Amino acid sequence: MNARFGLTVRAVAVACIVAGTAAAQEPRLLAIRDDATRELVRTFVEAARGRGTPTEPLISKALQGVAFKADAKRIEQALVRLDKHLRRSRELLGAQATTDEVAAGAEALGNGVPDGALRDLRRTADRRPAALRRPITVEIGVLTELVAKGVSPGKAGEMVRQLMARGATGTQLTELNAAVQQDVALGVSPAAALELRGKGVMSLLPPPISAAAAQRVP
Amino acid sequence: MIMDERDETIERAAEALSALAPLKGGAVARVLLAVRAARARRAPVWLRVSWWMQDTSVSARAAGLMVAASLAVGFVLRGAVASDENIRLARTGGGIVALQPVANAPAEPQAVPVSMVFDLANARSVAVVGDFNGWDPSAAPMKRIGGTGPWSATVVARPGRHTYAFLVDGTMLVADPLAPRAGNPDFGGDASVMMVRTP
Amino acid sequence: MGGSRGNLTQYPVAHRVSVSEFDSSLPIRAKHGDEQAFIRIVEFYYPRCMRFARNMLGSEQDAEEAVQDAFVRVYDSFPRFREDARFDPWLFRILANRCRSLLARNERRRAVIEYGDVPHGAADSEAGADWAEEVRVVLESLPAEQREAFLLRHVEDMSYEDIAAMTGAGLSALRMRVKRACDALRARLTEVSRDHG
Repeated sequence: MNARFGLTVRAVAVACIVAGTAAAQEPRLLAIRDDATRELVRTFVEAARGRGTPTEPLISKALQGVAFKADAKRIEQALVRLDKHLRRSRELLGAQATTDEVAAGAEALGNGVPDGALRDLRRTADRRPAALRRPITVEIGVLTELVAKGVSPGKAGEMVRQLMARGATGTQLTELNAAVQQDVALGVSPAAALELRGKGVMSLLPPPISAAAAQRVP
Repeated sequence: MIMDERDETIERAAEALSALAPLKGGAVARVLLAVRAARARRAPVWLRVSWWMQDTSVSARAAGLMVAASLAVGFVLRGAVASDENIRLARTGGGIVALQPVANAPAEPQAVPVSMVFDLANARSVAVVGDFNGWDPSAAPMKRIGGTGPWSATVVARPGRHTYAFLVDGTMLVADPLAPRAGNPDFGGDASVMMVRTP
Repeated sequence: MGGSRGNLTQYPVAHRVSVSEFDSSLPIRAKHGDEQAFIRIVEFYYPRCMRFARNMLGSEQDAEEAVQDAFVRVYDSFPRFREDARFDPWLFRILANRCRSLLARNERRRAVIEYGDVPHGAADSEAGADWAEEVRVVLESLPAEQREAFLLRHVEDMSYEDIAAMTGAGLSALRMRVKRACDALRARLTEVSRDHG
């Protein structure tokens, strides 16, 4: 093999290595112009990957910071907060939680939903008959929104939990949330709106279903 | 023989010094950054590449294998990045975690299409940006209905609560006037919330 | 050192990490280039390392610097880590070395900047701060090698054999250092207990 051919082959190989490495990295992070911030985000993402907590919310949060023209310090602070909430959310929702559930739980914690309320939702979901089990991302989202809009975390958590226990669907819960928001916009207090609308949904639901009873259903 | 009996005073003193601080957010990332910075200082990549490029003793076959291997590494790593989200965590206590695939975890629901409309007559361009598309300005450009009407686009999002905004003329983020506002304690500014139901 | 004690954060809950919770394959995997294994090592040991460094250096900021430097050195030194060796003593040897270097640097700075100042430890002792604070004051007044030996033995729960391997000191010398540290703590803390009735 002559030296020129060898050099050409190596140049191609170098290009492939560079391309391969770039493909392995998260290309969306290239939207972050500042090298140090981009590297910081990448390390957060890798640490999350190592732990098994979701990485997508961290990337999304960093890119949200870019969209809102936040400086590097604010992006870092936001990632630190979110990283902490993702870990806690994973602990509270358990190893079986889906990526979306963990992300939703982290958002919930960031919006003032207490640990106990998240844990209660998971326990309630786990008591559902196996055939009816599904992710509780919507339920967590509704709870987050109720708390974010001024309903006390304790009351909101208890209402969502009760409705879940009675078998309320995600659609019923999102409708409850929309109705509460409308009432609040019209001047009703958040607590009164939740109680009123919650009872309305509850009245449409069948009596509580137990796991044993569900298993008897053919 | 010197004895260092651990009497009550020493026990209490040791206890006072034994408090562990919780792992601070960002601490691990900072350590990794420092490790990488130190590694980069010691062995710049261009030096290694230039050294390898000057060495003409590698055979064509070996070089070909390197090409294939490097491509494979890229794709394998890419696959690993994509599949990591399917790995679940098992906490074994004390902050250490073990990763394991979970067979019985409920599947993520499918993303569903969500139509959006925004009426702003004077805008030159509008795009929907939100956590469902990674706040990417190019992911969901809106088009005027009928060429001159309100702006419209369809995005896909998985069930749950999402925050989003409209990016007007590529520079200004505007909240959706028809949707509830989202608090944005991290970055300030206006954003909106939408709840996507399970299909 | 006394001057930087204001940075110390008080953590009310005492907690010890059991070594049995650590996956001993992580260092070997990290040695062979598995970065995720390294991340998990850092996550596991960071709190303990911070505790040791904070107790040694008396400053949160210095402790963070020492711990970060130590992990950088751990990463660099993995090729030399023997796979049949225990990880704890190896990590703490590197960390203790970093703490000593920082102490020496701080001593040099103090010699230039604070020469002639009244030692903070003495003033704080007279002020009669709370019991835990007294422990720290006494600890800071000890020679560094006594402080190090006491912390490794009684706070990090290491055996004398491990400490000897880490520090290079003989067993008798180590026992003497720990004894002297214990004597100093007993003398001062007994006095404080008596004063506070």
